[in-house]
Amino acid sequence: MPSDTLEAVSEIRELSYAEAVREALGQAMEADERVFLFGEDVGVYGGAFGVSGDLVHRFGKDRVIDTPISELGIAGAAVGAAITGMRPVLEIQFSDFVTLAMEQLVNQAAKIRFMFGGKASVPMVVRLPGGSGTGAAAQHSQSLEAWFAHVPGLKVLQPSTPHDAKGMLLAAIDDPNPVLIFEHKLLYKTKGHVPAEAYRVPIGKAAIRREGTDLTIVGSSIMARKAEAAAERLAADGISAEVIDLRSIRPIDFTTIAESVRKTHRLLVVYEGVKTMGIGAEISAMIAESEVFDFLDAPIIRLGGADAPIPYNPVLEKAAVPQEDDIVTAATNLVRRGEA
Amino acid sequence: MPVEVILPKVDMDMETGTIEAWHVKEGDLVRQGDTIFEIGTNKAVMEVEAPASGAIRNIKTETGVPISVGTPVAWIYLDGEAATTPSEPAAAAATVAAATTLSKAETPAAPVITVAPTSSGLRATPLARRIARQNALDLKTVTGSGPRGRIGESDVKRHLEQRPRCAPAQEARPAPAAGASEGRLQPFSAIRRIVANRLSESMRTAPHFYLTSEIEMSAARDLLGRLAKRHERIGAPKPSLTVLIARVAARILRDHPVINASVEGEATRFHERIDIGIAMERDGDLVVPVLRDAGSMDMPAMTREFARLREGMAKRTLTPAELGGGTFTISNLGMYGVDSFTAIINPPQGAILAVGRTVDKPVGREGQIVLRPMANFTLSSDHRIVDGVAAARFMADLREALENPELLL
Amino acid sequence: MSAHQKPNQRPELAALDDATVAQALTRMHLIRKFEEAAEASYMRGLIHGTMHLSIGQEASAVGTTLPLEAHDYILSTHRGHGHCIARGAEPKLMFAEFFGKETGYCKGRGGSMHIADVEGGNLGANGIVGGGLPIAVGVGMSIKAQKNGRVCMVFFGDGASNEGAFHEALNMASIWKLPVVFVCENNKYGMSMDIGRAMAVANVADRASAYGMPGHCLDGNDLAGVAAVAKVAIARARSGEGPSLIECKTYRWRGHSKSDRNLYRTKEEIEEWRNQDPIRRLEDELKAHDRFDAAALMKLEEGAQRDIDAAVEFARTCPDPDPKDLTRDVYAL
Repeated sequence: MPSDTLEAVSEIRELSYAEAVREALGQAMEADERVFLFGEDVGVYGGAFGVSGDLVHRFGKDRVIDTPISELGIAGAAVGAAITGMRPVLEIQFSDFVTLAMEQLVNQAAKIRFMFGGKASVPMVVRLPGGSGTGAAAQHSQSLEAWFAHVPGLKVLQPSTPHDAKGMLLAAIDDPNPVLIFEHKLLYKTKGHVPAEAYRVPIGKAAIRREGTDLTIVGSSIMARKAEAAAERLAADGISAEVIDLRSIRPIDFTTIAESVRKTHRLLVVYEGVKTMGIGAEISAMIAESEVFDFLDAPIIRLGGADAPIPYNPVLEKAAVPQEDDIVTAATNLVRRGEA
Repeated sequence: MPVEVILPKVDMDMETGTIEAWHVKEGDLVRQGDTIFEIGTNKAVMEVEAPASGAIRNIKTETGVPISVGTPVAWIYLDGEAATTPSEPAAAAATVAAATTLSKAETPAAPVITVAPTSSGLRATPLARRIARQNALDLKTVTGSGPRGRIGESDVKRHLEQRPRCAPAQEARPAPAAGASEGRLQPFSAIRRIVANRLSESMRTAPHFYLTSEIEMSAARDLLGRLAKRHERIGAPKPSLTVLIARVAARILRDHPVINASVEGEATRFHERIDIGIAMERDGDLVVPVLRDAGSMDMPAMTREFARLREGMAKRTLTPAELGGGTFTISNLGMYGVDSFTAIINPPQGAILAVGRTVDKPVGREGQIVLRPMANFTLSSDHRIVDGVAAARFMADLREALENPELLL
Repeated sequence: MSAHQKPNQRPELAALDDATVAQALTRMHLIRKFEEAAEASYMRGLIHGTMHLSIGQEASAVGTTLPLEAHDYILSTHRGHGHCIARGAEPKLMFAEFFGKETGYCKGRGGSMHIADVEGGNLGANGIVGGGLPIAVGVGMSIKAQKNGRVCMVFFGDGASNEGAFHEALNMASIWKLPVVFVCENNKYGMSMDIGRAMAVANVADRASAYGMPGHCLDGNDLAGVAAVAKVAIARARSGEGPSLIECKTYRWRGHSKSDRNLYRTKEEIEEWRNQDPIRRLEDELKAHDRFDAAALMKLEEGAQRDIDAAVEFARTCPDPDPKDLTRDVYAL
């Protein structure tokens, strides 16, 4: 791979999110022969969302492995490979299909190390394209990340930029634990600066995307991007929003959120998963339980997915998850009137 | 096994308490129910009874420092138990919450002087509450601009900027002036602390104004003499001028609801009942026992009640309910030779009546200068709820009633 | 023919030399005594949770693993004590685990259902029916990618063969010709459900043809017979020809777990299988062919009993884990 050429232009180089993921996979497989990619249609097809692309031609079908449509089986295969010295990267074609693989991820991958008294580790990565916005309806559009964040033993990431998509995937492959990466389908085509070298973005550290003083908006995955756009509009209206991109929901970077809320006194949490029992509930509760409670000058507001399956109709689909306008409205109400 | 004596929780929102004084010393034999120490909370001082009979050991002697509720402060060794334990008994010792004189109170005790409420009915953000705490600010006095009147940071800050310059409580620790004698430094007692905070708060937040009337006391004096005879006949205690004034005030307050009222946030609370607090001194502390439902008492009843309160105060048997919650207060310093003075309103009440001494003074009567017993009455009113005219009308009625008590019939 | 002339041994038994047979018999005794001691400890309240006993199934565990090499892997089940011991696990560390002690195989975190000895090639018992099957596929992928010549043997019960995981795992192992041996210990019941009511074919092994692999249906209480078939399947796996499915028909004398009241089977049926005791059958056959006398056999059994007694005593005196270490091994650092 002509990495030296790429490095020369890395300052200005832009990649799409999907390209950034592919580059990370390629670099990981180049650097470590224990790493392999497998999943449904990741080979010649190039992945359902084109993420694996030409990797099968570069690394061969023994390292970019097409699997039968057997989500439980392949999740278990990742576990088995991981505990015997490999570094599997599994793609679950749509994150919704992870429902078929729950047993292996929740009962096996997450618990093996603990059950065995620390005498095994399960260094596997599962990539899960998720989220709504593509008209794929109820069984192909969910945001199930909070389910897994509820399971000790797993790590759950939601990179929102091409830069983080690459850096966090490389960090996940290095990590000795099972790591689930939820990639929002609408982000795959978004572009951004991605250095050519194989860099790591630490797991468990949120990013402050924009500094502000009037309120803190915590967003995960695509909602962090929407929050950034909303913050731009809020600024024009005289409201200074601090935007935190969660990036990792387990472990969660409570310190960064707490420090921000201590400064801004107001918190808005935005996430695409169903609002009820979701990420926002956890963040709100953590603030309420902490000493930062005493710094709140307004109720904490959550914007999350509706209590409904993702609908097919595009108008309904948009209405089912928070949009940029919703964030602007909620933030404005929170700052100006103390409520959403 | 020795019985643990803990610092008991004697009030709903109590987290810490201060031992004001021990009534027993190391090794004393106590009987269950004996008062063993006094505890100061942020509302009142209460006595704590021994939870068991035996010998008191391992007394933690620190008085005047806040102790968390539930902390063991001593142990009682039962008869026959080894009285010489080298260290505190193990934590496994039976924990028996010390009984207090409050335990029989039927209703939650009303505080003698309320502290800033933390919740009931008041909407404020955690941050607003925090800033208020730090600045010893009663949030009741702050206007909330948020939804449903919620007080936010900006409301508190605006309020603090507007109030008279005054260093926050924590910072009010001026160094002794150069060359001044250092003297003796005595930490505030629990009561002193409450009085200090509440009266400071009153002066900061309640815009006081004062009306003084010089009232002729001939008729009142005469009446008091006749009442004394009657009371002697019916076996009631001798009536005092203070009680007579309270009786008269209770009667005319009926016609002046705005004087028998309190400030509640942005509203005036008109009290249906007339509960008159009488400011008194006990061991250097200011306490205000209350003549509950004074409007319904005749002189013998009020005199008896006043005597009971005074005795209870001296014996420290009064409950916080009896030491707080008045709707109007009378402070009489006449017996100390004070001619006249202005009193600080006891919040959240709207007014307080200060009574000076009765002294013979030359006054004009029907074109002649004559000597008459005169006394100065000064009403302090909270201008937020009481206007000058309303206060003046009350004072006019007070004068009329004291100078012509028969009109009260 | 002289008076001492005995009928010829079966080739399956003849294939096992005396040392191998003694080792196999010792391990069967250890399994039996281990589980009897575990049961006794449970009844005396020394063991906290439940357990699933495999008494009666010892020949399956020992016979299938006998031809494995030291570096091969196994994946076990909730009824997995036998597999652990068959692979050489130390009873004292197993008992320490049973008693929840810090010195146990899993530091008291796993208990009866999760005994693992990863370094020893035992990738763990599994509390989920069929849980180990897909994992075996991944282990097979590892072996193939690492070209280390190992084999993975995965145990499961008749109940697990009705899980989706069974079909997904056998299919993938077969299409990729993975070095896996699937061992179904068919003890007739998925908890209370008779296999005849749970499955429309007569034998679990019949299902092998659906995945293009050999299926072997065996008398699971015949140690020598089991070992002989396992040897073939292991060789096939090691040579890269792909997986096999072995079905050992056997029987658990005890209930499903300690809370089983045996309402679904008869005393007569249990008695019938008790007469098929795999240990007694092997001993009788060895005596019949004059390979071991009664005294030698007794010595093996007594040795096993002493080891188990010592293991219980060891475990009893070990320290409990410290609650402050509760979350220690949730994540690898």
